[in-house]
Amino acid sequence: MSIEEHREPVPDFGFPRQAFVSLLVFAVFWETLSQLSSYLGIPPFAVPSFVRIAKSLADITPIDIVVTLARVIGALIASFVLGASLAMAMYRSDSLDKYLHPMIRILMAVPVVSWILFAVLWFPGVEFRICFVLVVVCGPVFLVDMLDAMRSVPKELRTMMQSFRPTTPQYFIKLMLPAIVPTIFTSLKVNISLAIRVVTIAELVGAVTGIGHQLSAAEELFSVSDVFAWTLVLVVLLFMLEAVVARVEARMLRWRT
Amino acid sequence: MNAPTGGPPPIEVRGLRKVFRQTTSGQSVVAIDRLDLTIAPREVVAIVGQTGCGKSTFFDLMIGLEAPSEGTLRIGDKSPYEHFDHFRGRIATVFQQDRLLPWRSALDNAKLPLELIGLPEAEQRERAMAWLKRLGLGSFTNAFPHELSGGMRQRVAIARAFSVQPDILLADEAFGHLDEVTAAELRETFLALARECGSTAILITHQLEEAIGVGDRIVVFGKSAKLLADIHVAHWPKSKYKVLREAIQSTLQSNTPDSRLLLAKKSRAAPNGRRAAKAR
Repeated sequence: MSIEEHREPVPDFGFPRQAFVSLLVFAVFWETLSQLSSYLGIPPFAVPSFVRIAKSLADITPIDIVVTLARVIGALIASFVLGASLAMAMYRSDSLDKYLHPMIRILMAVPVVSWILFAVLWFPGVEFRICFVLVVVCGPVFLVDMLDAMRSVPKELRTMMQSFRPTTPQYFIKLMLPAIVPTIFTSLKVNISLAIRVVTIAELVGAVTGIGHQLSAAEELFSVSDVFAWTLVLVVLLFMLEAVVARVEARMLRWRT
Repeated sequence: MNAPTGGPPPIEVRGLRKVFRQTTSGQSVVAIDRLDLTIAPREVVAIVGQTGCGKSTFFDLMIGLEAPSEGTLRIGDKSPYEHFDHFRGRIATVFQQDRLLPWRSALDNAKLPLELIGLPEAEQRERAMAWLKRLGLGSFTNAFPHELSGGMRQRVAIARAFSVQPDILLADEAFGHLDEVTAAELRETFLALARECGSTAILITHQLEEAIGVGDRIVVFGKSAKLLADIHVAHWPKSKYKVLREAIQSTLQSNTPDSRLLLAKKSRAAPNGRRAAKAR
């Protein structure tokens, strides 16, 4: 037996000590830099103190968070529905797969900025632009992951299911979808992170609400503390969404433990 | 348990041929070559043969997942391939591995075929629960497959197959992977339940001992499912099983049909069997 096998498991306290230490070191460094900025020739607004950042955090408008969150969740639902429908159709039809697969690969290679520019040029409505950009970025991720997962469902299970003669909807509902739930969660976690970053960029262009709009306003006012505060909100939002997904995932995949 | 209604239809196989084209070489492989076979309602038939003899292809054709290249396979007056939906709830399968859905509890796995035929939820639960209890799993209905032993999982798979009380039961090496004691126990349970339900049961195996222990009738496949022997076990007294085993082994090795072991010659099949003894 190797040494590793004898090693005692390290208890998990939820927030690792190392993460706390690194954050503390960063905070001390930032605050020191802020206090010494005048001596170091750095403009005072560039490195605001934590007191200033706290004031900016206090001024955060919850409606912008709600709007951004609603856009992200709405777009993720639309992306999932679109991705899942196309994945099922492509799984069923080889010729559809042959026609669509190259297009999807091309879509995935297009930079987000290009999509934003296309959206601005093509669509007049701000909400539709944001939704379009999010769906065109997140949808293919769901599609490709789900299609791969469907093809990886063991042949033994597929044969077993077919031997009981399900209808096509039953085949997908009772076998394929439950079988790919772990992949759906992995894909969802990737897409949440992607959507949070993409929605911010999309909101920078033309939106009058949302975190991206507030970041744009802070940039116009040269308010680094506001940018810091809104960025912090985005990071916390991402962590919270991931925590919710992880909880739902643990509940739905309890059969694996 | 509901009593079976009507009864299973006979199975008629005439000139059945299945040819596969190998994707790499493009060559044709004859898996089944002109098979003729009739299986009467409620018969328990063990199909035995060496690996690669076409047993599993025959199983797939029986399920209706493959179409015959030539000839016909009919259950009653319908083909399981062409009339695929007609046999929903009428054909059930038990595979070598349990093939349980890992995200479903034992109860949910057992009621899967009942869901597919659209029974009301309460009836599904009641019937699946009854079958699990019959198979000694009454205390494990909420357990997930990974929480059960191999034998218990196979019991769930058997409960799943019986839950629809099918006309035709197909088992592909269903007990081969289990330890001898568990396999023997499950084999007996399976047979008792098949007889009780009045189902026609076809068990595919490569183990001669299992075939002799299970079937009312043993069908021996040679290369390309060539019919080497077709025996009614009841015509052989237990004291002659050794002779029977040796005769089957010999015909398997030579891949030549043995006229003594073909059903048409059953009057001469077991000269020292029960019938022969009675005649004497």
